[in-house]
Amino acid sequence: MKKISKALLISSAVIAMTGCSASSGKTEQVMDAQKEFGCSTINVYNAGEYISESAIPDFEKAFNATVKYDVFESNEIMYTKLMGGSAYDVLVPSDYMIERLMSEGMLQKLNQEQLTNLDQISDDVIGMRNVFDPAGEYAVPYFWGSVGLVYNKNNVDPAVIEEKGWDILLDSTYAGRVYAYDSQRDMFMVALKALGYSMNTSDTDEINAAYEWLLSMNKAITPAYVTDEVIDGMINGNMDIAIMYSGDAAYVLTENEDMAWVEPKQGTNIWVDAMVIPSNSACPALANEFINFMVDYDQQYANSEEIGYSTPNKKAAEELSAGTYEGISAYSPRTGYEKDEVFHFNPEMTKKLSDLWTRVKMSIN
Amino acid sequence: MKSFSKMVTPYLVWMTVMIVVPMLMIVLYAFTVQGNSVLTFQFTLNNFARFFSDTVFPSVLWRSLKMAFITTVICILLGYPAGYVIARSAPNRQSVMILMITLPTWINMLVRTYAWKGILDASVFSAEFKVYVGMVYNFLPFMILQIYTALSKIDPALITAAHDLGADNRQTFLRVTLPLSVSGIVSGITLVFLPAVSSFFIPKLLGGGRFVLIGNLIEDYFISTGDWNFGSAISLIMAVIILISMYITRRLDKQTGEEEGD
Repeated sequence: MKKISKALLISSAVIAMTGCSASSGKTEQVMDAQKEFGCSTINVYNAGEYISESAIPDFEKAFNATVKYDVFESNEIMYTKLMGGSAYDVLVPSDYMIERLMSEGMLQKLNQEQLTNLDQISDDVIGMRNVFDPAGEYAVPYFWGSVGLVYNKNNVDPAVIEEKGWDILLDSTYAGRVYAYDSQRDMFMVALKALGYSMNTSDTDEINAAYEWLLSMNKAITPAYVTDEVIDGMINGNMDIAIMYSGDAAYVLTENEDMAWVEPKQGTNIWVDAMVIPSNSACPALANEFINFMVDYDQQYANSEEIGYSTPNKKAAEELSAGTYEGISAYSPRTGYEKDEVFHFNPEMTKKLSDLWTRVKMSIN
Repeated sequence: MKSFSKMVTPYLVWMTVMIVVPMLMIVLYAFTVQGNSVLTFQFTLNNFARFFSDTVFPSVLWRSLKMAFITTVICILLGYPAGYVIARSAPNRQSVMILMITLPTWINMLVRTYAWKGILDASVFSAEFKVYVGMVYNFLPFMILQIYTALSKIDPALITAAHDLGADNRQTFLRVTLPLSVSGIVSGITLVFLPAVSSFFIPKLLGGGRFVLIGNLIEDYFISTGDWNFGSAISLIMAVIILISMYITRRLDKQTGEEEGD
């Protein structure tokens, strides 16, 4: 779900880093991939800045394998690259994109016998995965989170923002002091939720109401539409309120103690990014091993501690929320709230919303 | 001579692979529906109909053209005097001044725009003004250099001759210097207008993400929406507009050239 607009600049650095950084030292070789599977190279395609530095070297050592690691900026770019015939062995897309890949027959079933670490995943996250992959045949959760508001406690009354939820974005008291997220999907989610509708609606009246809501939000608070800049912006305290992903918020909260996190009472988007194997994978056996390796406690702990997004691994999540991320509410997004939803893929809606979205952005200036 | 012409082959191959093929793919995407696999195409004109049937897209296009035009005019107004002063200075001072103008361009444009973001973020200026500052700052050196080159090529004897024949400074400038430097202005226009009209990170960074130009629109449809077909159609519409504006500038250049000949 993370969208990295700087990914182009960073990707080469990430690859260089993962290529030469030392492994955590804990891993021993457990298998020789070439002997066992007849292939020892996998291509992994993940979002930018979304993996710990030690993960790839550790895996390469444990399986005597080579990982070619590539990063994408958005789910949509990943999809287009797949359509263009690029072959990967492991992808880490978001829920709705996995739903799309499944429906188009672009994924292969996982080998459950190899996935011995699945029981380490918490039931809550399994429940979220079941929304798009009910039998757990295709996807293994990697990171999960929600969307909420980060605010400066000194300038925004916590009681007020808890009470108003998303509607605080219509309050002109905060004009010029708000970061909105430059993404059609997330902003329409905010508007639909604020109005009490489902974020997966296809009802024209509800969509138009959400569009009007966004126009009045523009008018009331003239937000700055940003993506990754929101992280540094909130750490530096440039604005008082920001719409953010929980993992980024956890990072902001650790860096700036004036900042707090709220998941609006009207409900929000709960999302899961999960590992899948495309049907054209050349080395699916090793890909299954990689997935199993990545959900294991050690790797999830390191991954989540370094990146700040919430791990699906139950033990790692418990330890991190009581340890490194103690007191950082955004690290543990709420689960089981009835108004929270997982986003579903709907091409017609995406198209309809994209034209309205251009209008929303044009309405400010 | 014939053997030398073979040396162009690597360039031709390069150009075909890196420029012609991607261009053809944009055309292909623009005229097909979404969700095609690589081998089956369904052709359509809907992408273009969608662009022109909605008022919001042409208005983004209009805003981009207007901004690029105003940026170009400001660059001419600031760049011509600068180029003139440099061309009239002593040769050793000329090279220092040219160095000072080219020096910032050694740093990546993105980095320099981030620097402006730091400066302008705290200011009260409108998003539009900030974008203008970024555009003019980034593209001004191209204009100055083109005008300077054209001016420094003018034979000083022509100026002396004009004075000898009784022309005052103003007449000399308007009837000798300016017409002889039009070619520099025209190539400056090409170098400023084209990148300005398609610029996307300057409005994105300095406009606080709320100042949408056609470049941002294309980026949005490619990256966030994943609608490469509509994104390609917008790109193609813009490419056609750029071709037309280049044609017009060329014509202007030719016309002034012919007038000089009379």
